[in-house]
Amino acid sequence: MTTLLPFKIMPLLVPAVFLIILGMVWLPDHPELLDNAYMDTFKTSFIGILLEALPFVLLGALLSSLLRVFVPDEWISRWIPRRPVPAILFGCLLGIIFPVCECGMIPLVRRLMHKGMPLYVAVVFILSGPILNPVVYGATLTAFRSHPWLAYARMGLAFAVAAGIGLIIYATVRKSPLRLSIKRETAEPHQLRTRGGRLVSVLVHTSDEFFEMGKYLIIGCLLTSGIQTFMNHGSLAAIGEQPLGSYLFMIGLAFVLSLCSTSDAFVAATFLHTFPAGSLLAFMVLGPMLDFKNSLMLLSLFKTRFAMYLFFLIFSAVFIGSVLASLWL
Amino acid sequence: MNDPRSIRIHYLLRAVILLGFALYIGHLSQQDALHYYVAPKLARWIRLCPVPLSLMAASLGLQALFGKSSALCDCEHQLPRSPLRSSALYGLFLFPLLLGFLLPDRALGSEAAARKGISLTYALPETGREERFTAVNPYQAEFAELAGKLYKQPVINVHPEIFSETFGAIDLYKKQFEGKEISVSGFLYREQRAGSYIYAVSRFLVQCCTADATPFGILLDPQTQISLPADTWIEVRGKLHAAVFENEEIVMITPESLTPISQPSTPYVYTSADSIAALEQLPVSRAENEGK
Repeated sequence: MTTLLPFKIMPLLVPAVFLIILGMVWLPDHPELLDNAYMDTFKTSFIGILLEALPFVLLGALLSSLLRVFVPDEWISRWIPRRPVPAILFGCLLGIIFPVCECGMIPLVRRLMHKGMPLYVAVVFILSGPILNPVVYGATLTAFRSHPWLAYARMGLAFAVAAGIGLIIYATVRKSPLRLSIKRETAEPHQLRTRGGRLVSVLVHTSDEFFEMGKYLIIGCLLTSGIQTFMNHGSLAAIGEQPLGSYLFMIGLAFVLSLCSTSDAFVAATFLHTFPAGSLLAFMVLGPMLDFKNSLMLLSLFKTRFAMYLFFLIFSAVFIGSVLASLWL
Repeated sequence: MNDPRSIRIHYLLRAVILLGFALYIGHLSQQDALHYYVAPKLARWIRLCPVPLSLMAASLGLQALFGKSSALCDCEHQLPRSPLRSSALYGLFLFPLLLGFLLPDRALGSEAAARKGISLTYALPETGREERFTAVNPYQAEFAELAGKLYKQPVINVHPEIFSETFGAIDLYKKQFEGKEISVSGFLYREQRAGSYIYAVSRFLVQCCTADATPFGILLDPQTQISLPADTWIEVRGKLHAAVFENEEIVMITPESLTPISQPSTPYVYTSADSIAALEQLPVSRAENEGK
């Protein structure tokens, strides 16, 4: 067990090292960083992002614990179609039943996988759930009231990307990439031995999940608000002048801003004058699937190698998809 | 695997942290400070969070104090084993609480607006490149109706409730509003551009939380002498003018009076689902009385 330790703390170590290096390189040149205005901005955006995610994380943890305690394993495997194509469609539609924001997604998906949901269906759900749901559709339509086709394109591209990645994973990944092996879980001997009965047992599990996810959430919030405080939007916009540069820029922006999928459309709408519509599409499809906060949470669920493979698939699928979509639109 | 005693300690620590979060949210909503961080529609949900948080804390406490040792097991969710990793974990969770309780709650100001890039125009796609959709444009219809109603007022009073819509309507019909009197409040935004300072009366538009806050500002005539520090809350009364600033057509106010005011209880502005209905519900008499 001790030999595995460096790998286990990698997800925490990498951002920490990144922050330390950033601090060492920047701080001597920027004494104003310790200035109060920066600290206030940092606090306001940090607490803002954390509070915004909190209800969703709690909801996800609670749903996951309810599933664990009350839903027998056979149910889940009975609901999910056996053949890949119907199963992928099922995964895409699950977001309509569980309109959970991406922060609440990971604990829920982990539980579903432990209950027997196949990996590729779980990935499809993780990717499509935060976009293909009525709340996000409504918000996107409101933000692009004068360009409703962008909202349709967002839904369509998210569906295509999620289904495509689901098929690729179905075809290529055989071994379970989960961090906590399923075997340890299958024996559930102490389910009812918690003091206070089933409801208390649900709450204890909810807090376990909360602390499990919370650490990645807090690190993600720290990084995101650090970037929000110190990054100058205007100076980066120059990258967006080149035709393909704008796509890469918007993808990068979606990754570092880590906005909630219900509000990112409004931010995207402010770029409509300066950037091509295809790059806004990339922003709105990639952001909910992959961002700072989210990728740390994915690293907690999947082994590093598989997570990297998944990140690569998401990035390339969204990039290709949005460029193609812009040609067609 | 941890022994039951250390599991009890972990559970107690976790219960304390969960209670801390519940208390912090309670404290924020009691101080009416939640709106510094999130939009009202989300704040409703956050106000509910202390309920599950304290229930979770209570059940963890119950396990820690009265649970049977044989039932305490961290085989599913491993608790950290070394003291170093435990303190790192709980330190991480304590950090937001410390930050929250120790530093004062402040609204975003000029500094953040400069980072995010302030918009002096209502940058939504009214006349975008997609000409084929101009026939069905509910935005334009709403703004046109709003503009008509605003134009009838002797002095346009920009209500915070419909700030972004009012700004959008005026920006869309800037030529027609030329010379109209306006009264608007916001924080004083100051930025150095091309050697001289520019000033704007500004507000942050928040959709969901402070991460997506977008700063909007109405430029104050660069000829005006302003000696107030940045981030002062001001009420500006003056005349609207269409102008060209850095190759962009914008609206600008030539101030007649500029009074410092105290910061309003809700510093940010939010979008309104139906700005026309909102305008009619607002105390219209306020605007009319001030105009007379």
